[in-house]
Amino acid sequence: MTDRACEPQPGAVKFTMLLAGIVLLLMMVFGLIMRAAQGNLIELDPTLFYQIMTAHGAGMVGTAGLTGAAILWFFVGRYVPLLPGVYYAFLGLFLFGVILILGGIFIGGYGGGWTFLFPLPAMSGGAWDAGAAASFMVGYTAIGVGFLLYYLEVGRKLIVAYGGIGGALAWPLAFGGGRQEDAPPPTVVAAMATTIFNTIGIVVGAAVLVCSLVNLLAPGFAVDALLAKNMIYFFGHVFINASIYMAVIAVYEIIPQYTGREWKTTRVFAIAWSAVLLFVMAVYPHHLLQDTVMPGWALVMGQVISYLSGIPLLAVTAFSLLVYLRGSKVRWDLASALLVLGVAGWSVGSIPAIIDAMISVNKLMHNTQWVPGHFHIYLILGEVAMSFGFMAWLVKEARKTAMTGLDRAAFAVYLLGGAGFTIMFLVSGALSVPRRWAVHAPEWYLQDRVATGFAMLVILGTLFFVATYARGLMRRRAD
Amino acid sequence: MIGARILTAGLIFSLCLGFRDFFESNPVSHVLIQLPLLAWCGALLAQPAINLEAEWNRGGVVALLIALFGITFWMLPRSIDAALFSPAMEVAKFISLPLCVGAPLAIGWARAHPLLRGFLKAQAVSMLGVMAFLYTHAPVRICNAYLVDDQLRLGYAFLFTAIAVVVLWVAPLFVGSREFHQMRSRSVEAG
Amino acid sequence: MKALLAALAVALAGPAFLWKATDGFQALTAEDARRVAAMRDRPMVPDIRLRAMSGEVIGLPSADRKVTMVEFIYTTCPTICQSAGTDLARVRDGLVEKGLGDEVRILSISFDPETDGPHQLSAYGESHGADGRIWTITRPDVDALPRLLRAFGVVVIPDRFGGYQHNAALHVVDPQGRLSAILDTDDITGALGAAKRASQ
Ligand code: HEM
Ligand SMILES: [Cu+2]
Repeated sequence: MTDRACEPQPGAVKFTMLLAGIVLLLMMVFGLIMRAAQGNLIELDPTLFYQIMTAHGAGMVGTAGLTGAAILWFFVGRYVPLLPGVYYAFLGLFLFGVILILGGIFIGGYGGGWTFLFPLPAMSGGAWDAGAAASFMVGYTAIGVGFLLYYLEVGRKLIVAYGGIGGALAWPLAFGGGRQEDAPPPTVVAAMATTIFNTIGIVVGAAVLVCSLVNLLAPGFAVDALLAKNMIYFFGHVFINASIYMAVIAVYEIIPQYTGREWKTTRVFAIAWSAVLLFVMAVYPHHLLQDTVMPGWALVMGQVISYLSGIPLLAVTAFSLLVYLRGSKVRWDLASALLVLGVAGWSVGSIPAIIDAMISVNKLMHNTQWVPGHFHIYLILGEVAMSFGFMAWLVKEARKTAMTGLDRAAFAVYLLGGAGFTIMFLVSGALSVPRRWAVHAPEWYLQDRVATGFAMLVILGTLFFVATYARGLMRRRAD
Repeated sequence: MIGARILTAGLIFSLCLGFRDFFESNPVSHVLIQLPLLAWCGALLAQPAINLEAEWNRGGVVALLIALFGITFWMLPRSIDAALFSPAMEVAKFISLPLCVGAPLAIGWARAHPLLRGFLKAQAVSMLGVMAFLYTHAPVRICNAYLVDDQLRLGYAFLFTAIAVVVLWVAPLFVGSREFHQMRSRSVEAG
Repeated sequence: MKALLAALAVALAGPAFLWKATDGFQALTAEDARRVAAMRDRPMVPDIRLRAMSGEVIGLPSADRKVTMVEFIYTTCPTICQSAGTDLARVRDGLVEKGLGDEVRILSISFDPETDGPHQLSAYGESHGADGRIWTITRPDVDALPRLLRAFGVVVIPDRFGGYQHNAALHVVDPQGRLSAILDTDDITGALGAAKRASQ
């Protein structure tokens, strides 16, 4: 192995995005099935519901991570030479993990949720055996190892090229007398920050996975349930956030092509990213506000930081995006529209999260569909929209500079569907409809059914985006 | 230089041997001090061989694999007990740790790709964490030769070692390499 | 190429070595190792005289060709030996139930004969319901003790509070005097099965 500078592997990244698009579609259909079953529109055995829910959760979170990782790799490759072999190893381990996970769920019958909360995997009441849960967890571990390799490569290259973690995070500019001209580009800052917190998240996740695996094989080794829950939510929260923070790099890199103005690392930008780095890791206790055994300070920290964490993100990314867009004549096409939607959806999605993080509200709402409501906003209209924008940009034709009528229609359908679908979750949440229930009471059917309709729109839009992308890839190959 | 190294290695080795009873009286000093010291002897003695270009050891993979299996063997509670109860195993311990763990580790590490090193460091931290978990959560006594309370203490010692190792390895990453700063100051002077 | 071959060789030899060192990954601890070894090698136990709580002297491999179940205790133990005593009472009841009462005997052997005189042995027997017929409490001579413990693989270490920590288990010795199984004391079904097997 030698450290030769390499292209950012467009082929591998394009393949990843195609794969991700197809998986997203499939998982959305799973979501549709769940929502339709909750609305009593179709008959679905609860056992199967929980298997589908596990697959949907794990599959969506994994795909979000995968698309974020592809985007980061693609753009960081512009600044530092990355080893191609690492990306292939990452992808290989990822796919291997997916096979184990799917096998654990649909062959082994594992239905304990993507969060594998201890001691659920070991106590299925006969629904699945230890082997199924083990397969699921080993699959996670394989994906974790892949990500670890990936981040090691990105991290070490950034550290060497930009003078340590501090240099790559633009600390001289943020906290010292550094000049803006010397600061690394936004992509580097974002990549360094996500590399750090997601590595930590994955290591914590791997630790609790191994402990759960040991517990599965030798039940005498009992894990402390509260500690395990803390670790799992730390990992889950950090990982899903990282997927967005990685995907936003596409905004930093692509939007300037439309505005004609480079996205700059300013002092505020640098400080904000360092703050994000800490907040992302410190905020996870807002998932545990109902665990009365948690120490009070941790919960208060979770609540306070939830308020704060909106600031760097909204202020820096969304606000600068507005400034950049206002000052220039942007020619809207599918790529730019989806990327801007992504930032907007991400910002909007954080509002219900902040509301939910208020301890008093949380006591009422946390186990309701309010929670899927908030994360589906920033995922469907945020991370996933950014990924679709990146895909559209990858196959953009130089000649075509505007949106066709069909583009417009698909965008509108996706936006309408996404907004309607997530609002129905929020409405259900506000009406105290519990989350993760396979069978709903008849009073809840109305929202469930309306949401099912909106979900179909989301799927329709997605179908168009993925098909356009696939056609674009083929056309390019033919040229 | 070589003389000094041999001397240091000899000194450490005789320390391990001379204070055997002290080191082995509890599992923390046995597993986390004596064993690493013995491996260190081997690493010191292997220094002259480090730059040897050997085709079979491309990338240090073979040497590292040997060390890995050596470490795994000496992480088995069974091996620790055996070293205490069987003189033959005790002799094997004093020979194999320098020769099959310390020396190959040094030789392999020198050749290892930075990515492999990073991976092994991450692996080391997570293994220390797993050991910490196992020793603090075991429902049974793991070593017949040591008390349960000492077993628990060993678990916490693994945890603290893991934390210390993380700090040791991560702290330097914040400031960047010396080459980088030399390059930067040169370019500033030039500019 | 050479490097690949060498790596492959080590990658095969390493696990093979670990396989051997752990009896096929069955025994990672010394305790499991002695259990696996007993099942596999059935080593002879030493010929030793024991003094029972009744005052009578008995031999360890049984003179009347019975299966002997052995556990090691010290009567002043506040924890494990007390719960093991409860377990053994259940084993004894199980033997009676299965009609094995005439073919099997149970011996609790004190590894602290200096403290455990006849008096202490009887008291321990009484508190756990060992009446001396199937199950009796015994002690070896002080000089025979190390040989005895070593043969069984029992390790006794002072616990810093004036007592001991020791690996508690039920050892099954067949009529020929071979150690043929080692089990957890609370594995009643396993113990009855092993006794039946050893008696045949
Ligand atoms: C058409 C699109 C989608 C539909 C119809 C859909 C539907 C659903 C439904 C019905 C649930 C279960 C709600 C409950 O707990 O009662 C759910 C949970 C979830 N969804 Fe989606 N979803 C969609 C898109 C997405 C996307 C794009 C992501 C992430 C990238 C995602 C991630 C999740 C996660 C993480 C859960 C939680 C699973 C759990 O509680 O274990 N979903 N979704
Ligand atoms: Cu005891």
